[in-house]
Amino acid sequence: MLKLWKQTILAPVISSLLFMIVFGLSLGDSIAEIGGFEYRIFIVPGLIAMAMAQSAYSNNSSTIFQARNDRYLDDIIAAPMSARQVHLGYLAGGAMRSLIIGIVLTALALPLTGAPLERPLELLLAVLLTITGFGALGIIVGIYAQSWDNQSFINNIVILPLIFLGGVFYSVGRLGSPWEQISHLNPLFYVVEAMRYGFLGAADVSPWLSLGVVGAITIALVAWAQLLFSTGHRLKP
Amino acid sequence: MPPALSIKGLSKRYGDGTLALEDLDLEIPAGSFFGLLGPNGAGKTTLIGAVCNLIRVTGGEISVFGQPGTGMAARRMIGIAEQEPNLDKFLTVYETLLYHGGYYGMRGAEAAERAEQMIDAFDLRAKRDVEAPKLSGGMRRRLLLARALLHRPRLVILDEPTAGVDLELRHELWRYIRGLHEQGTTILLTTHYLEEAEALCDEIALISRGRIVARDTAEGLKRSHGVDTLEEVYLRTVAGGRIAMDQLEEVE
Ligand SMILES: Nc1ncnc2c1ncn2[C@@H]1O[C@H](COP(=O)(O)OP(=O)(O)O)[C@@H](O)[C@H]1O
Ligand SMILES: [Mg+2]
Repeated sequence: MLKLWKQTILAPVISSLLFMIVFGLSLGDSIAEIGGFEYRIFIVPGLIAMAMAQSAYSNNSSTIFQARNDRYLDDIIAAPMSARQVHLGYLAGGAMRSLIIGIVLTALALPLTGAPLERPLELLLAVLLTITGFGALGIIVGIYAQSWDNQSFINNIVILPLIFLGGVFYSVGRLGSPWEQISHLNPLFYVVEAMRYGFLGAADVSPWLSLGVVGAITIALVAWAQLLFSTGHRLKP
Repeated sequence: MPPALSIKGLSKRYGDGTLALEDLDLEIPAGSFFGLLGPNGAGKTTLIGAVCNLIRVTGGEISVFGQPGTGMAARRMIGIAEQEPNLDKFLTVYETLLYHGGYYGMRGAEAAERAEQMIDAFDLRAKRDVEAPKLSGGMRRRLLLARALLHRPRLVILDEPTAGVDLELRHELWRYIRGLHEQGTTILLTTHYLEEAEALCDEIALISRGRIVARDTAEGLKRSHGVDTLEEVYLRTVAGGRIAMDQLEEVE
C-alpha cells in the first residue's frame, strides 16, 4: 500500500529531525527566546508544517505526472468514477503519507524538544487545510507539468523559499518595517503561523486570520483542481 | 436488444487542428465480433478514445447498449486494452488487477478473488508479485488483456492487441479473445493485419481519414468489390492512391 515509503516518508522525517537537532538543539542555547519560547521549541511547528506541505505537494504532483506520462491514467478516467471521485481519491492518497509524516514527526519532536501541543483542534484544522491545499497544488502542477523538472522546480523555487521566508526559523514580527509587512503577503507565512498557534498556543497573528487565509487559498486551489478534472483539460487530448 | 455500440455524427479535431474523425457513424450489434480496419493514422485509436472517455470529442453522440456514452453505466460495460501497454511501473501484476477492480467499484475481497482468477486465466501465476517493467512484452500484453476483462465488461475493445507481437503470442491472444466472444461478449478489434480480421471477425468496417468507407462481412466486401482477397478490397478502399510498402509488407 505505501510503496516507496523510504523516499516518501522516512526521508522527509529524517531531514526534518536533522533540522530540529542541528538548528534547535545545537544553536538553541546561543539564540534568545522568541515570543517566550526557547528556540528549539519555536522552530518545531514550522518544520512539521514544511515537511507535511512538501510531502502533500510532491506526492500528488509526481503521482499525477507519472500517471499522465505513462498513460495509466487512462485506466482511471475510463473507469466509472466521476471527476469528483477521482479528485478526492488523489487528494486522500497524498494526504495519507503527509499525515503519517506529521504524526511521526510530532511523536518524536515533542519529547525531543519539549514543545507543547496547546490547541489540538486548531492544529487539526490547520493540518487538514494545509495538506488539502498543498495536495491540490500538487495535482494542478502534476496536470500542467511537461517534464519531471517542472514539478521539482515549483518545489525548490516557490514552496521551499516561501516557507522559509514565512518564518519557520524566525519570528517575522522581529524583522521590522518593511520586511514584516512584505512577509505578510507571503501565503505560506499563514501556514506556518496557523501550525505554530496549534502547537504553541501563540503566534504573531491571530489564529483566525491565519486559518482564514489558509482556508481561502485551499478552497481556491481545490476548485481549480476540480475544474481541471471536470473539463479534462490537459488530462485528455 | 440495443446495439453494443452506436455512434452518430462523431467528430474529433485535436488541439493542433488535426481532424481525426469526421462526422462518423457506426453501429455494432450486440454479440458481434467486429473488426475496425485501417492504415496508421486513419482514426481507429481516436474513435476508441471517444468511446472510452479518453478524449474530449468535438461533436456527435455515443451510446453503449442503449446507455449514454458519457454516463457511468456505459463505462462500466466497457473494457479496453489500449494499443500501447499503459501500466503503473510501481505495481505488481496482482496489484494492477486489484486496483483496477477498485476503480470499477468492486469490494476488496471480490476484486482480490477476481484478480487471482485473471492471473490464472492469463497464465501470469509465476509473475503475480512482479512489477510491470520486469515483465516480458508478451506478459505485458496478457496483463493488459486481463485488466481489461477483470470487471466483466459486455463490450471489449482491443486496440491493435497483436501489433508487433510474435506469432505464438498472437495465436494465444486470439484464443483468449475467441473464447470470450463465444461466451457472448461483444468484441471491437482494431488491426491492420487483414488475415487477422478475416479469421476472427463477423463483420468488418474499413476506416480511412476519419470516415467509415465500407462495412460488411469479409465475404460481402470481396463480392461487392469483385475481388478475391480482403487485401485487394483494402488497397482499393482505404489505401487509395498511397499504397505504402510497409503496409504491403505487414499483410505478409
Ligand atoms: N493527441 C493527438 N494530438 C494531435 N493529433 C493526434 C493525436 N492523436 C492522434 N492524432 C492524429 O489523429 C489522426 C488519427 O490518429 P489515430 O486515431 O491514432 O489513428 P490510428 O489509430 O488509426 O492509427 C492521425 O492523423 C494522428 O496523427
Ligand atoms: Mg491506433
